[in-house]
This record gives sequence, structure tokens and C-alpha cells, in this order.
Amino acid sequence: MLQNDLGRKLWIAALLAPALVIVLLFVIVPIASAFLYAFYSWRGLARADFIGLENFRLVLFGEPFGTWTFNALRNNLIVFTSLMVVQNGTAFLIAFVLLKSLPGHRFHQVAIFLPVILSSVIVGAMWKLFLNPFFGLVNQGLIAVGLQSWAQPWLGQPQTALGSIIFVNAWHWVGFPALLFLAGMQRISKDVIDAARLDGAGDMALMRHVIWPLVAPATTVVVILTFIGSMNWFEMPFVMAGIDGTPAGATDVLGLYFYRTAFGSATGGLQDFGRASALAVLMFLVIAIVSVFWTRALRRRELPE
Amino acid sequence: MSAAIPDGRPVAADGPIKVWMIQAFLIFNSILMLYPIVIVVLSGFKSTAEIYSTPFSLPASFEPKNLVTIWEQTRFPRYLLNSLIVTVSSVTTILVVGTLAAYALARYRFRGNELIYLFFLSGLMVPLKLAIIPLFIQLTSLGLIDTQLGLILVYTAMGLPSAIFILTGFLRTLPFELEESARIDGASEGRIMWSIMLPLARPAMVIAGIHNAVPIWNDFFFPLVMVQTDRLKTLPQGLTIFMGEYNTEWGVLFAGLTLAALPITIVYMALSRQFISGLTHGAVK
Amino acid sequence: MTHTINRRTALTALGAAGAALATGIRPAAAQSTELSFWTWRQEDRTQYAELFGMFTRDNPGIRFAFQGFEPQNYGTALSTALAAGRGPDVIHIRAYGGLEQFSKAGYLEPLSPQTVPELANYTPSALASVTDRSDRKPYAVPFASQTLGIFYNRDVLSRNGVQPPETWDQLIAACKALKDKGVIPLANGMATAFMAEIFTAALTLPLHGKAFNDDLVAGKATFEDPRYVGALAKLLELREYMPPGFTGIDYPTMQQLFLSGRAAMFVGGSFEIANFRRQNANLPMEFMAPPAPTAGAPRLVPVFYDGGYAVNAKSDKKEAALKLIRFFSTPAFGNKFTELLGNISPIAGVRIADPMLARVAELNKTSGDHITLVHFRYQSPTGSELLTAGVQKLMGGSATPAQVAKEVTDGIATYHAPFRRG
Repeated sequence: MLQNDLGRKLWIAALLAPALVIVLLFVIVPIASAFLYAFYSWRGLARADFIGLENFRLVLFGEPFGTWTFNALRNNLIVFTSLMVVQNGTAFLIAFVLLKSLPGHRFHQVAIFLPVILSSVIVGAMWKLFLNPFFGLVNQGLIAVGLQSWAQPWLGQPQTALGSIIFVNAWHWVGFPALLFLAGMQRISKDVIDAARLDGAGDMALMRHVIWPLVAPATTVVVILTFIGSMNWFEMPFVMAGIDGTPAGATDVLGLYFYRTAFGSATGGLQDFGRASALAVLMFLVIAIVSVFWTRALRRRELPE
Repeated sequence: MSAAIPDGRPVAADGPIKVWMIQAFLIFNSILMLYPIVIVVLSGFKSTAEIYSTPFSLPASFEPKNLVTIWEQTRFPRYLLNSLIVTVSSVTTILVVGTLAAYALARYRFRGNELIYLFFLSGLMVPLKLAIIPLFIQLTSLGLIDTQLGLILVYTAMGLPSAIFILTGFLRTLPFELEESARIDGASEGRIMWSIMLPLARPAMVIAGIHNAVPIWNDFFFPLVMVQTDRLKTLPQGLTIFMGEYNTEWGVLFAGLTLAALPITIVYMALSRQFISGLTHGAVK
Repeated sequence: MTHTINRRTALTALGAAGAALATGIRPAAAQSTELSFWTWRQEDRTQYAELFGMFTRDNPGIRFAFQGFEPQNYGTALSTALAAGRGPDVIHIRAYGGLEQFSKAGYLEPLSPQTVPELANYTPSALASVTDRSDRKPYAVPFASQTLGIFYNRDVLSRNGVQPPETWDQLIAACKALKDKGVIPLANGMATAFMAEIFTAALTLPLHGKAFNDDLVAGKATFEDPRYVGALAKLLELREYMPPGFTGIDYPTMQQLFLSGRAAMFVGGSFEIANFRRQNANLPMEFMAPPAPTAGAPRLVPVFYDGGYAVNAKSDKKEAALKLIRFFSTPAFGNKFTELLGNISPIAGVRIADPMLARVAELNKTSGDHITLVHFRYQSPTGSELLTAGVQKLMGGSATPAQVAKEVTDGIATYHAPFRRG
């Protein structure tokens, strides 16, 4: 390592300063101000008196808000676990087979990423057509192959609504973790793979003992981004099920619940910045604690240089 | 046929059955990915009624009537240009500023490293939508409401945490030997960063760039709240005029948003070379 | 499908404002005032250009900047701008609790008979929709009344030998006859939250009657009243006549089923009239009151007011803005509004030429309040959000009418003392 001189310090400071200033000014300060809203009562949309933790009490234990909060949180956790398996599992597998550079891999690599580029508005609307109980291709396909009883209103019933939206989300975003894994796998030196192959390692062994440990940094990135993304999940359920978490809260997640509480739903709910900000603070705490703990744990798993 | 490691040199041969199975899996996956996109493109030629009566068949005609509607009712070229200005400026700033910060965090040990890393990470944990009111007030006081610069700064601030997170993760994995030997040869810190380390970080920069470019390109929330001057509107924001209270013109939106995805698609196709070719050039040792 | 608006005409019609900004040239005329107007009704842009045109003919010094927003995010854009002391001079705003949260915060200019003598042109119930209950001042002038009921396709009904039903039993019989012929009787689904509330409100009012509404508002009854629970239970009879998989049928699908003639009836509101016409001008549709519980009982239609036009308290052009508000309250405006936008203006003395709107206005004579909106959307959790979730569960089969009624009552009871048990 370098000597700890002034030049080095200035160099590091110069590297960090622009990012620090921008993030502080336009992310941290506004968010901190928004957090303060949580400690006030609100006269309509105007801030009124300091009321301490009352909004937190309402959001956690007041009824029906508490039930809504924990219902949403539970759904967020379901979203995270499912995306880890469905989206990131598939992504890992695809990255691994793309790495083999079989004929046509460039095509597949582009194909898997195209959905990522599309706007959520379009992806959500299009999959709503596919899942439409009346003329949707999914149900028509099931009926065509004789599985009438499997045909159902995917987005209309509590048992299947969230799962359907998770699937669509995985479809939309799978290309991104795939790319991350692919980039991670590319970092692995050929010698290491060669050596393993010469030792007679098959695909499974190679994956388990060589690739998996060596893509640990990429895995850290994927896990943390998926966790934060799942906890802040908003766009896909908003486009596909609406701001209210239709049906009856089955697709409600903290992001929707927060947005609905802060800005109302034009056709049903009112705006309450106090409760909304309390929710936001709680969301932040959950995400921050878990991510910090996790980043450290996952980074320990990464190989030392 | 044989499995090849990145430079095409066969190492261990996969049996033909296995290769076919892998190919079948990839082809199935690509169909699953592409078929809905084909439907989206076809829907761009349909009216809303047609989308709902025959969602999965060919459109009655391939006349670009939805595009004509967009052309007549919005300032499409202007919006497109604005989107390009905002996205390119934001992503460039994110990558430049973010790479510098990530480099510092990944390659140097110093007091507060972990703390600054967590500071950036915390910017990732709450959606900025949440703070739209304080943000709006702050931008108003800076005179940046209803300006492109305001949008660019917001997007940059929003994108930096994830970019720094991704880039730090990757820069950390680069071996220290290269750097050390360059230092022994007397290269300056700036030179080591610029000519040795950053070229190796290209795939990660592409990932961080795309990770930010796509949401920024597609976002209509921030422009909707922050920009009211028609001349300054972005493309997704401009297209929201087709979302009515009781009826959304889906055909028009499908056409417009698919068209809007084209520039990013082209950029990605160009950049996707970074990956597989990055294998041979980027792999260390 | 949609009317094509020529971009250039729209811009010019909107006054020099947009054009001037677009080219960066500010008009030199010093006496000219530009009023900004924000709305979620962006699809009404050309019609508003014409309405503003009526005003600017008599007030040549005033120009308009019309700003339409994507409806779902209108509240966000508006409340954010107002919180920062910005926002438009004239605000299109929702009624009832939706208005109160803005008026309570002091964002809206209170109106009075002195500043707006035309307030006399509105009925008390119309004014109540834009009045803050705490200070009893109106903060906007209402723009449209909406009536809930049932649309039906004349041709589909007559082709299948079905008469428009007048009683609940006739409705069920008609549905059965239509279903036997392979027609979807009701287009309605449950996957769009706000339509679940509209559906419930439209059909239950005649079933539980007006006396229940009065008792509910007076605090003498809760939603657990047998009259209300009984009305909810009746809705279950309709499940088999809704589209297959109706829990997953969203609002656009409902509309397309009805517009294409695949569904015979559509439970909705008069706000659909203009919407349906824009999408299919030749649709042989009719609008009727919901069925009576028994022959001879009144077929009450739920009525509510959509929202109003308000003045930003921070506007520096209040004088001009109030002038516009006064114009928005004249019968001349009301007539043009009704004609152009296909909605019923609540201004006294408005002429309704359109036959379907005239029929709706006729139905309004036998009306009651859209109860969850008019009386229980002032505090969280609102009656509307509770009922919406409840009805989705009810129709999906995961809650009984009594459970739904209890959930709605308990939720409202958290801030409404009369609903609290002993």
C-alpha cells in the first residue's frame, strides 16, 4: 500500500467529493427532511404539531393500518424470496450456459436482455393481456391442452395474484442479474477453469466448487440489489394491480402502501404525509439493518485477493 | 461440438446430448423472452378495441396510424431529443462521478472507507419518490424546477448509489498485483487508475450504465412533477397524455413506448460485445 | 376511436402562452395576464380551449396555460407544487375529502357570495361537495354531477328478447336469459379497485333505501345494519352473470366487453357516457337506474359531484382567477360544458340538449347520496378503501356480507364515534 501522505489523502478526497456532494444534496438531505415529517401531525396537507412517535404507533399498531403494514411487509418478503429463486436462479443458470459460448450465444444474450429495456408500463399492460381471464393467452393455452381446471383469473384471486406479478417481474428483469453473473464469471481466470477441467470436474462440480465461490462479489451485488428492489417494489404491482393492492391487499407491498398513504389514490384514499413518512422511516430501518448486516456477511464470503 | 471456455479453446467436451439440451433450454428461454415483445410490437399497430378483441393475432393493417397520432398530438421529436439529453447527461455524470468514487472505495484503504460506502448504500435504500416534496422545495430554492438541469441532477443523485455499489463490487475483485507492479515502476495514481484499472472495469461500467439508463429513459414520474413546460418534456412524460382518467389509448402507448425503446436497444446491442469479447481481453493474467 | 387533435390548432387555441414559451419569446403586452390551469382531465384539452375561448372573448387581457396530467399522479404533482408554494392559479380539484385536505392546509382561496355571487347558482348538496366542513366555506365551484346506474346495449337486449329490467328479480331473470343465449350479461369485473366501489354503490342504494342513508349519516345505524348487509348479500347473486374469471377482469377489459357488444350490461356511472362515445360512437347504449328491490319501489340512483375549480391561495393573479371562477359558474359555461364534455353541469338553469344526459338528469330527481364517497371519505381509513377491499373479498368468495360490513364499520369507527360499540 501507498504511504499515508497528504497527496494520497487529497487524491482520495478528490475522487470521492463530487459523488458525496451530489448524493448528499439531492438524496440524503431531502430524505432526511421527509423523515422529519413522520414526527408531526398534519392539517390536511400542511404540517401541524410535533407529535413524537404517534404516527409510528398508528402505522405499527393502529388498526387497520398495522394490519396493512404487516400484510405489505409479508408480501415484500415473499417477493424477495421468490425473486431470489425464480429470477436470480434462472439468471445464474443462463449466465453459466451463456459462458459456454455455444453457437448463437450472442443472440440469446441479447434476447434475455431485451425485456429489461422496455418500460414497466408496457410490460405490465402486455402481461395483463396474457393473463386476462377472458381472452388471455395463458388461459387459452391451458384450455387448448386440456387443462381447463388450471385456467383461472390469475390477477383476480389472492392465491395467484402476487405470484403472477412476481413472475412478470422476473421476466422483465432476469436479464440484469444474468448480465451481472456473466460479468462476474468472466472475471474468473481461464487457468482456474482449465485446471478444474483437467482434474476432470464436470459442470456441476465446476459450478459448485469453482464458479460459485468465485462469483461471490457478483452474488453480493445481486442479493443486495434484489433485496432493496424487493423492499421498494412499486412499479410492476402498480401497473398490474393498481395502487390499492388489488384484490383486497393481496398484492399490496410497502412501496404501494407508502405511495398511497402519501399521495392518496384519486378514487379512494386520502393523503397523510405523517403516516406515510413513518412508513418510510420504518422501511429504511428494515432495509438498512438487513443490508448492512448482509453486505458485511457476504463480503466476508468473498475471496481475499 | 464441444464446450469452449471463453477464448474458444475446448477444454472439456460436453456430450452432444447435453449440448442439445442446453441449446433447447436457451432457445426456449429466448422464445419466452421474445414472443411477448413481438406481441408488444404488433399491438403498436392496433387500436385499443383491436388489442382487446384479438390481442394475439396480426393487426388488421400495418398502417402506422398510432405513430401518426403520436406525431400529430405530441411534439415527438422534441420529447425524444429531451429524453436523449437528460438520459445521456445523467448516465455520463453517474458513470464518471460514480467510477471515481467507487475506485477510491475499492482500491484504497483509509479511515472512513466503510462509513462512506454505507453512506452511499443508504442512498439506495429509500426510493427518492418518497422525498419528492423536500426535493421539490430544494430544487425550487435553487431555481432548478422546470429545467433539464434539475432533472439531470436528480437522476444523477438517484443513480449514483447503485452505480457506486455495483462498481465498487467489481473493482474490488481486480487483483492488486497489477497496481503494485505499476507503482513500483513509478506510475502515478491517476495513471494507474486511468490506464490499468479502468479498462478492466468496462463490463461493470456497462452494467452500471444500463442499470441506470433504462429506468431514467423510461421514467415519467419526476418529469411529471418537476417539468411543466411543454418544450422541456421527456418522451415517456409526453406520452402520458394518452393515459386518460377512464380510458388509456393502449395502441398508441404500445407504439410510442416500443419506439422509445429502440435507441436503448441499439445501444445495448452495441455494448453487449463488451461481455463476450471482454472475456478474452478482460480476463486477468 | 379517438378524435385527432391537430397539434397546431390546439396550441393556438390555448392562447399565445404555450407558443410564446415554446419559442422563448415573451409577449410584450403588459396588461396581459396568463392564468395557469392544472387538471387531470388531459383528454379534455381541446374542449377546454373552446371553453376558455368563451371567457377570453369578453376578457381579452387574459390568456390560459392548460396543463394536463396523467390522472393517477395528478395528486402527487399538485400537492408537491402547492407545498412548495407554487402550483397553478386555477386548480381542478376533487370533491369532498379530496378537497378538504387541500383547503385545511390553506392552499385554496375561500370563496364567498361577495367574491363569487354566482355561488347562488348551485344547489346546497352541490356546494356541500366543495365546502370545508370545519369552517363551512366553499373552496371551489363544482363542475359536474355524476349518476350511477346501469348501461345496457339496446340491440343486444332486443336481439335476445330481453326487456330492460326494472326490479331486482327482473335483472336476475334478464341475466339468466342472456347467459342462456351465450351473451355475457354483465361486463363488470373486480380487478380495478374503484370500479368495485362504483358497482356496489350503484346496485345497493335502491336495495337498502334512502332511510338507511339518513340513519347512517345521523349516526343511528352502522354499515352492519341488516339493510346494508342484506343489500351486499344480494350482490352475490350476480356472480354467475359476470364474465368468467370476473375477479381478474379489470376496468379496460370491462369497457371493451361492453363496447364490443359481447356483454349486454355495464354497471357504472354517467362519467362513462363521454368515454364510451369517444371509443365507439355507434354503440346503441342506454342508461337506466339500478333495479328496485320490488315492483313499485323507487329506483334510486346514487349521485355525487366529481370535483370543482378552485383558486390557489398563493396565486398572484387572484383577481383574474376569481373572474374565471365566476365565469365557470354561469349557465352559459354550464351549457357549453355539458354540450362539449358530455357531463352534467350542476349549474342552475343549464340546458341539456343531449337526450341521454337529459334522461340522466331526469333520473337525478329520484336520487340518494353515493354514501361512501359523499360521507365517509374525509378521514383514513376511508369508507371507500375499506369497502373496495371488502367487496373484492366478498365477490371473490373469501368474506361474507356480514364480515365486510363489520370491517367497514370497524375501520370507520376508529375516528367516527357513532360507529363505536357500547
